[in-house]
Amino acid sequence: ANMKLILIFSALIGASLCLETFVGHQVLRIKTKNEEEVKQLQLLESLEHLELDFWINPSAPALPVDVRIPAVSVQSVKAFLESQGIEYSILIEDLQDVLDKEQQDMAESAQRQRSSTFDFGTYHTLDEINNELDHLASEYSFVEKIQIGESYEKRPLYVLKFSTGGSNRPAIWLDAGIHSREWVTQASAMWIANKIASDYGTDASITSLLDKMDLFLLPVANPDGFVYTHTSNRMWRKTRSKIPGSICVGVDPNRNWDAGFGGPGASNKPCSDSYHGPSANSEVEVKSVVDFIKNHGNFKAFLTLHSYSQLLMYPYGYKCTRPDDYAELESLGRAAASSIRSLYGTTFQVGTICKTIYQASGGSIDWSYDNGIKYSFAFELRDTGRYGFLLPANQIVPTATETWLGLKKIMEHV
Amino acid sequence: DIDDVGHKYYLELELEDVLDKGRTVSCTAEVLYHLGSKSSAPDVQATVQGELRSTQEADQEFYNRIRSLEKELVAENIPDSHGNVPPELEPIHLLAWAASGYVIWQNSTENTKFHLAQVKHVKQVKRTDEDLQFDYVLLLHEMVSQEVAPWEVTVLWHPQRGARV
Repeated sequence: ANMKLILIFSALIGASLCLETFVGHQVLRIKTKNEEEVKQLQLLESLEHLELDFWINPSAPALPVDVRIPAVSVQSVKAFLESQGIEYSILIEDLQDVLDKEQQDMAESAQRQRSSTFDFGTYHTLDEINNELDHLASEYSFVEKIQIGESYEKRPLYVLKFSTGGSNRPAIWLDAGIHSREWVTQASAMWIANKIASDYGTDASITSLLDKMDLFLLPVANPDGFVYTHTSNRMWRKTRSKIPGSICVGVDPNRNWDAGFGGPGASNKPCSDSYHGPSANSEVEVKSVVDFIKNHGNFKAFLTLHSYSQLLMYPYGYKCTRPDDYAELESLGRAAASSIRSLYGTTFQVGTICKTIYQASGGSIDWSYDNGIKYSFAFELRDTGRYGFLLPANQIVPTATETWLGLKKIMEHV
Repeated sequence: DIDDVGHKYYLELELEDVLDKGRTVSCTAEVLYHLGSKSSAPDVQATVQGELRSTQEADQEFYNRIRSLEKELVAENIPDSHGNVPPELEPIHLLAWAASGYVIWQNSTENTKFHLAQVKHVKQVKRTDEDLQFDYVLLLHEMVSQEVAPWEVTVLWHPQRGARV
């Protein structure tokens, strides 16, 4: 009698909510061993009063049969199967539980959408990133989204300009994702952008920095490559430009700068992942940045993010001799590495590119340094090889947070 | 430098157990890179000072689990694009690491630096003997050239006999 009452009650509630309820419904997976058993299930299927809902109908012995059974019939169907020696397993114990969870998930997701919070602890697509750039620019008066050019496949190159006033103030450049597979860099750049925007006015260091200088941040320096890592090849590094006379695609954008171009540490083979390209600045992604920085004329620092290896490097890469400002850059580099380590103990090795990683010509910070931008540093973020390019998303925020401490140290000194 | 032979390196290393951080063990090694020859692997002698953690129970559990699978295990992209590894595939991932160690050793020179970038694909092959067999496609990342290249690697494994590549 109680069962009946409950059923009527829930049916009424269900009706009033215009919802069909699946409380107590079970989904079974039945494994038939022969034609005989398939026939038995087809017989079961024909008994309409049981209101069985076959998600996979019985057809051949090799294929599983999935069936949703209303609560009232569960016990009798199982008894039938067992008496016939037909094997089954329970796919879903209570379908309503599953549906309730799904509703909950969807509500939470919609909630998140409404408050339009960008989850900085997960990897995003290019479109999601571009939307967030728009969001930041609209939310903060001192943040502006500017386009400095277009990629090979005609995607806009968006830079966030952080400026609290003045006219052509001394500026800091920060870019990420020039090598598209280094996903933690684009992700960290987004966190950093949000950090700077939201901390201006409350954090003494950021406030005094932006009151004197401008910051330009390019979170996705190689959008074509980035999209390619999402759609086709997660390990893609280069641009996606067509190379005349070759079936291979793309140029290593960090061998394409006009600094010792074509020298050791870069390949002249188009199919190589470190192919320097037909000529310096052949890649529009590189040329756009070069032109922007030259036209601005007042950059004091040039910082670029890569992964992985945990290194903090300054020029030179194209030659193995020390830059004139070696002592200052080494000391500043060590201070920055120290700040990074202070948070989670993550250790970064400091040194010139040539000594620390390898000789590599045509690199961006060599170009910026030789063009008068003294504070030129390249970071290689987490990790040291365990996950490499595939750094788990739960490490994005810790990586961004510690990296930011290092960047701040450098910016404060500029 | 050893004239007419090659370059020898004497190393003192500290090994950290990735699955039991904080647990370290010392190791000494001698590595000899042969002069000129690109086709021969460096000679390696290594001694571990102290004991490695016993994994007998976990090994046996993994072995039993795989042996009792009705269908051969097949998986791809470990870790996935976001760095995730499903817990039940973690041993497959670890075995790939061990196997990649061998491949890396066989292909190293003084000018290479390899890491396992990803298990692109793995397929179990059922055997009539007691070994487990996994046919892997491993992506190895080489730091100096920056190339990520696929390697087909067949691994035999047994709880007592260990891994063979």
